[in-house]
Amino acid sequence: MTEIMYMPVWLLPLLVFLPAAAIFKLMTGLRTRVDHQHISKNERDWSVPDMCEDNRSSFMHQWDVRFKITTIITYCFIISSLTHLASTITAIGISLILLIISKTAIKKVLFRILALTGFLSMLFMIMPFTVPIHPGDAIFVFGEMHWLQLNFRGLILASIIASKAIAIALLMEPLLSTAPLPVTLHGLSRLGFPEMLAQMILLSYRYLHVFSHEARRMSSAMIVRGFSKRTNLETLKTLANFLGMLFIRSFERTEAVFIAMKARGYKGRFPAPADLNLRATDIFITTIWIALGAALIIYDRIIL
Amino acid sequence: MHISDGVLPLSVSIGSYAASALLVSWSTRHIRSENLPRMAVVTSAFFIASLVHVPFGPTSVHLLMPGLAGALLGPAAFISIGLGLLLQSLLFQFGGLTALGANTLIMGLPAMACGYFFQRFKGRTQLRQSIVGGAAGALGTMLAAIILAILLVTGGEDFFGVAKIAVAAHVPVIIIEGLISAFTIGFIARVKPALLQPSFYKKTKSIHD
Repeated sequence: MTEIMYMPVWLLPLLVFLPAAAIFKLMTGLRTRVDHQHISKNERDWSVPDMCEDNRSSFMHQWDVRFKITTIITYCFIISSLTHLASTITAIGISLILLIISKTAIKKVLFRILALTGFLSMLFMIMPFTVPIHPGDAIFVFGEMHWLQLNFRGLILASIIASKAIAIALLMEPLLSTAPLPVTLHGLSRLGFPEMLAQMILLSYRYLHVFSHEARRMSSAMIVRGFSKRTNLETLKTLANFLGMLFIRSFERTEAVFIAMKARGYKGRFPAPADLNLRATDIFITTIWIALGAALIIYDRIIL
Repeated sequence: MHISDGVLPLSVSIGSYAASALLVSWSTRHIRSENLPRMAVVTSAFFIASLVHVPFGPTSVHLLMPGLAGALLGPAAFISIGLGLLLQSLLFQFGGLTALGANTLIMGLPAMACGYFFQRFKGRTQLRQSIVGGAAGALGTMLAAIILAILLVTGGEDFFGVAKIAVAAHVPVIIIEGLISAFTIGFIARVKPALLQPSFYKKTKSIHD
């Protein structure tokens, strides 16, 4: 039976708008702060293989990269198939523990969580008001406004999605930053991922930094000449010229890059960045991790 | 807008991975293999361009550019977009890793359609090229919104409301995207018209041969 709870109208801003505005304000504030720190701080470039051993070290750093990739990706799919709030929150807890064990930089993890907030807050704003009413749902109606019904089930659904997304996002840093990117990609291509695509990822990653530098240079040149973004046709025209220039320069650059690569004897492959040796502990960690995933599924589907 | 982890049902996320993998391999067969490193460099330029925010009233929107990518890269656009989305997901968490296949379909299919549309109707004059480019840009975003809505709806009727509002939110982006694409194609037609010929494509002969 659908339960309808009547609330006075003045509770609506208090329960819905105020928290939404507060979360929005908090997120934008945090984001600008992180953005500023991100630009000012000189972060390590993953495209350069590190020559010396990183001083952070954990079982994740020593785990064979092939097993690490397959295990974590399988585990991510397991998380995304969970259906109850209790099990998804357990998954966040497990991810947090793994994050602490793997000793990854916490600032980058925060940055990832912030990137999620746009999409997830949209779900939180929309789903409670739009999910169809099923028997047994708790509905909140504010005063006489019958057209606006807050369905508690929608809120739960949005929370399940959000916690799944967060549980997976927390694992991305351990997956990627516990080995240099070329080693991760080497492992990926040893798993049957086309080597050419792995190389393309490496090259795009490298030139991402080059072009972001270039874009920043061009935009500061535009600001010096008195350009400021507004909502008008002139801004769109200027931005279009900016993009066009970026593309033309990138196409011209590819020629130079390709000729330089050929001159250095490039024949469709880079030398392997690391030797991968399989140890018994690698298989052991994988077994435990997958068992953990299976336990989560059992908890989600049978116990709950 | 990229779908995050945990939204799509497992069968849909795995199915769209499979579909994307098929399309990537189809797309690679149409590109000469020595062009792949060049494409990687162009991909990073598109990646940076997609981070540009365009002011829209009190907020701002960021460009999706399936139309432009399709117009400039032709069938190669699918790989390029898949690569760009993979990097976005790995580096910035824009779009989840388990939803990567779906996100690639959302952007890649419109890019290929727009690439075909642009090459078919671009004509010879600069004015016509920029008008067709603008139409391709608007069309690309519209198709992306439609595919996004279809994929969201696979999650069941609970997602109908989200899908409707997501499509509505794309309307201003469609207009901005169309205008920006028109101006960008116009700029390229004036400055380096050779780029508007389908590059990286098997049929065109490179100057190095």
